[in-house]
Amino acid sequence: MLNTFAQIDYLACSGRTRWHRASALGKLVLAMLLVLLAVFMPQWRVLAALLVTVIALVLSAGLPWRLLGAAMTTPLFFAGLFLLAHWGAGAASIATLAMRPVIASVTALWLVGTTPYPDLFAPISRMLPRVVGDSLFLTYRAVFALLSRIERLSRAMFLRGALTGPLPQRANRMGEAVGTVVLSGFDRSQRLYQAMLLRGHSGRICGCRHYLEFTREDGWVLVLGVWSIAVTVVFAGWGAR
Amino acid sequence: MSHLHIPDGVLPPQLWIAGLVLAFLALLAAVHATRGAGPQQIAYQSALGGIMLAVMAIPIPITAFDYCMTLAGPVGVLLGAGAAFQVSLVVTLILALMGQGGFTVIGLNALVLGAGAATARPVYLRAVAARRSPAAAMAIATAVSQVFSSLLWVVVLWASVRLTPGLAVQQQVREGLRFLAGGSVAAIVAVLMLAAVAIESMLGFGLARFLSRVRPDLLPSSVPAASAPSGTGRPPEAGRF
Repeated sequence: MLNTFAQIDYLACSGRTRWHRASALGKLVLAMLLVLLAVFMPQWRVLAALLVTVIALVLSAGLPWRLLGAAMTTPLFFAGLFLLAHWGAGAASIATLAMRPVIASVTALWLVGTTPYPDLFAPISRMLPRVVGDSLFLTYRAVFALLSRIERLSRAMFLRGALTGPLPQRANRMGEAVGTVVLSGFDRSQRLYQAMLLRGHSGRICGCRHYLEFTREDGWVLVLGVWSIAVTVVFAGWGAR
Repeated sequence: MSHLHIPDGVLPPQLWIAGLVLAFLALLAAVHATRGAGPQQIAYQSALGGIMLAVMAIPIPITAFDYCMTLAGPVGVLLGAGAAFQVSLVVTLILALMGQGGFTVIGLNALVLGAGAATARPVYLRAVAARRSPAAAMAIATAVSQVFSSLLWVVVLWASVRLTPGLAVQQQVREGLRFLAGGSVAAIVAVLMLAAVAIESMLGFGLARFLSRVRPDLLPSSVPAASAPSGTGRPPEAGRF
């Protein structure tokens, strides 16, 4: 999963499509609109039209097919129990239930795949209490360093035979390994704290203000928003007739 | 089962809206409880959040759901209830942005994960006061935290079934649910759940054993902070390094 984190992070920073140039706030609002439409619309036709729209969004953002495939199948796996529970409720009901999470997941992929994390977190952190907003930035920043440490550690444990033997012994060793990562995380937090002090931390990590820089490409985001609402109204009306 | 990966659109709106409201209130309470936390504490809890995210990258599939090692118990012990809830919310938010669990289920997810983490420290302190070793106390606290989260998880599923009108009236759907909840499936899930709790507890055991040998001051002590020679569970001041 964390390799996917890194890949998405790279795609968000290196992409050059119109979606990458659009403002984070506009994309965040569009993503929320799409998710809410998906969650509240009961007609499968509306959801099918929205699904086609979000797939087109992802492809036009130049995101890889493999990520799109993962975004479309993973939520179905997790919604499996609910789909099974609806098995006898008719094809339309199952299609509706299956498309909702897929639309939301593909929308999330488009959002994070076209928006660098400081821009994405900056508006979100402003809606959260200060401590939590700061934690959001620092946690995401810590993940990659800690992950590479965990990977090195597990490779070393494997090579030294620490991952063999009875389960309790292995779990115990894993715990000790996690302990070394906790210590490393603690030391890292000390260094980070000192760096924050040196750089004049004023009591809040504000993130950058790029998320508010509206560009010409935001027009496309607006068009997509209007399109999604129009599609919903048209197909919902068609379904009602 | 301490972490829901249920995607958007499968839970009834009453449930996830209530979850969002409750999580927000719990967040405000958590922020109030940790008011006065300096950048050092924020950096420390972010490092532990990063470790939680990294550990969650190792999923163990259980039917339609995923069991993820969460470290919620150990993180709850190391940070205390308020900070652990904040970390849980941040981790859940980042996971949702990566398509692991829906946006709408962020509140429920944070509640399930955070409530488990929040129960861990009181249990740990009671166990230490009863003269258990830190490792055994951590294992007990982790197990209690996991079981509590799992119970909340079951409550969420139960509430979603009760609140979904389609499920309440359709005979075939009821039959489907009865099959899923039936003896053999339930027994398999229960055994897997117990195994998962045991693995996580053993991991907590190893972690606390390591920390008690190397950095006992990171583990909370049952002695009041004012008179404690060490081990208040708070990261030591930067000046000590």
